[in-house]
Amino acid sequence: MATVLEVKELSKKYPKKTKFAAEKVSFTVEEGEIFALIGPNGAGKTTTIRMISTLINPTEGDALVAGHSIINEPDKVRENITYLPDEAGAYKTMKGIDYLNFMAGLFAKDKETLDKYVERGKAICGLGDRLNEKIGGYSRGMIRKLLLARAVMTSPKLAIMDEATSGLDVINALEIRKMIKTLAKEQNMAFLLSSHNMLEIEYVSDRVGIIADGHLMVVGTIDELKEKYEAANLEEVFERVVKNREIR
Amino acid sequence: MKFGNLLKKELRELITLQAMMGMIFTMVLFIVMGQIMGGAMEEGFDTSTITLCNKDNSAFTDEVLDAVQASGETEINFVEIQSDDYAAELERLDIKNVVIIPEGFGNSVTVEKKPAQIQFVSQMQNGGLAGSMSTISASDIISIIQDVCMDEVLLENYGLTEADIELIREPMELIEYTTLNGKISKVSVMELTAVTMMQSMIAPMAIFFLLMMASQMIMTAISTEKIDKTLETLLSAPVSRLSVLGAKMVAAVISALLNAAFMIVGFAFYMIGMMGGAVEEITASTVLETTNLPVDAAALESVTSLPQAMAELGLTLTPVSYVLFAVQLFLTLAIGLAVSLILGAMATDIKSVQTLTMPIMIAVLIPFFITMFIDINELSGVLKLMAYAIPFTHTYTALTNLMNGDMLLFWGGLAYQIVFFVVCMFLAVKVFTTDKLFTMSVNFDAGMKKRGKKPVEE
Repeated sequence: MATVLEVKELSKKYPKKTKFAAEKVSFTVEEGEIFALIGPNGAGKTTTIRMISTLINPTEGDALVAGHSIINEPDKVRENITYLPDEAGAYKTMKGIDYLNFMAGLFAKDKETLDKYVERGKAICGLGDRLNEKIGGYSRGMIRKLLLARAVMTSPKLAIMDEATSGLDVINALEIRKMIKTLAKEQNMAFLLSSHNMLEIEYVSDRVGIIADGHLMVVGTIDELKEKYEAANLEEVFERVVKNREIR
Repeated sequence: MKFGNLLKKELRELITLQAMMGMIFTMVLFIVMGQIMGGAMEEGFDTSTITLCNKDNSAFTDEVLDAVQASGETEINFVEIQSDDYAAELERLDIKNVVIIPEGFGNSVTVEKKPAQIQFVSQMQNGGLAGSMSTISASDIISIIQDVCMDEVLLENYGLTEADIELIREPMELIEYTTLNGKISKVSVMELTAVTMMQSMIAPMAIFFLLMMASQMIMTAISTEKIDKTLETLLSAPVSRLSVLGAKMVAAVISALLNAAFMIVGFAFYMIGMMGGAVEEITASTVLETTNLPVDAAALESVTSLPQAMAELGLTLTPVSYVLFAVQLFLTLAIGLAVSLILGAMATDIKSVQTLTMPIMIAVLIPFFITMFIDINELSGVLKLMAYAIPFTHTYTALTNLMNGDMLLFWGGLAYQIVFFVVCMFLAVKVFTTDKLFTMSVNFDAGMKKRGKKPVEE
């Protein structure tokens, strides 16, 4: 299996700050793999994700997406990823269908591909006729579904999702988790997720990285971590790593 | 294709149905206001009819009133004032003013040979200038009656000929010259000022609206994208940041020009509607007052030859000047957009967007007011430098500089604006192509305790 993302000692220090927001973070994500970064608020998850998404520049280190450096070839990196920020909105004056068309237009090189992306987006979001309504009238859950569909309709090599199911009810959240698993399995798409929801992570992820205080403390499959920490569930592992700083 | 896609999206965001309705509403509002104001002004300035009560039935008074009517300029609406309660009488007759010629008017002038009395009753109007206009123009008509009386007295009592009266009335002829920058024209400076004042008011208004609209648009566009995190989605897509930036700026320019066009058309109609009738009436009544005769072609010559006088004085713009002004206007807009872009990127919420508009607003308003009321060059050294340091000042003074031929000032201003734009654009590109777009912010909530930049992080 090919490596889609290779994070190499990625560090970020914001101006006028003495501490690193993320320090020497290293991990890999393989093709068709779902990797979750979990950690408390301010641990450095979003900073790491934003660096990989080429939104902010690393202070040190590098990351390769499909073999392209986020520092030297950000344009190439962006061709291979999609990013769904936490609590993101969409253009309220646009209709749902126009939003899919607009975003597909940024990725597609020709009309045929564009139409293919939009058709996929329409099918994935499940909004039906409501796609012809303005986004301003959508509920939070509807917006999230639209954005999720947008993030996967172009079949990126790596889909980066910050709190993928935030704002969704239980049924919708379940659907999304299933969808992520299916896409990873059937289309070999890799996912880099970040979440606070341990149940979700346990259900959906192949591997997990626990980040605290800017440092990636441990990485492993759910079973590996549970075994290593002799824990009943991921929450217990999380507590011992983050709170007690137990590194095994 | 991608730039087109981005531009289309930006335009759809800015030029919405609501925005178009707003633009049309503003234009229609101006036009309607112009018509209403124009109607009120015209009614006020109307010297064509006079309400008069003639209580004196002497031959002299009849002759005077016949002469007034014979001039063809003023029609007399005769009314009957039945009591001394003038307030009630005006109310009863539904009129705003009335001229009363009391009994014995003719006798006093022709037999007793002493000044006669004439009464003018006027209702004081609330509600601005237009309300008091009718009283002002009625006073003009009284002076016409007075002049006709004088003619009659001179003819009847002193046996003078019409030629003598003409000489008494106009023993001298005023020929006015106006000079400007060494050029000279045979024109009244008052008339010229009235026309140039209107011109010099419209241009700064247009600049002001254009700048404010474009700035607010791009600021809202950037800050909303940042607050909604749609900017993160957009910039993680395979598009260059510069094309995102470019699309936003081009869309803001197009939208601002569209807004300005609607507003200026509306404003022009407002000015035409309001001033059109009034200017004609002022001119006509001024001529009437000075000559006591119906307006003839010669008297109006100075009015009709105004464009020629303006050309003689160099007060008209050549096509090259128009192009230069357009270049400067575009540069001004670009500076406004670049600065707004940087400020918009600092916003963390809608409230902070409003606060961040302030610097632009101040920089646009200060030169707007200064140039509207005084000549910047008359300011003292430091104040003048401070005024010229604001890049928008040069745009407000550009038209005057071009008309007056102060090319050194014009080119100096343009060069300063180019330098200012390059610096602003460099900073805007730097903000947009680096982390600063996501890390830069101004925290107004904590402003009371600590004002400063705060990086956004997690």
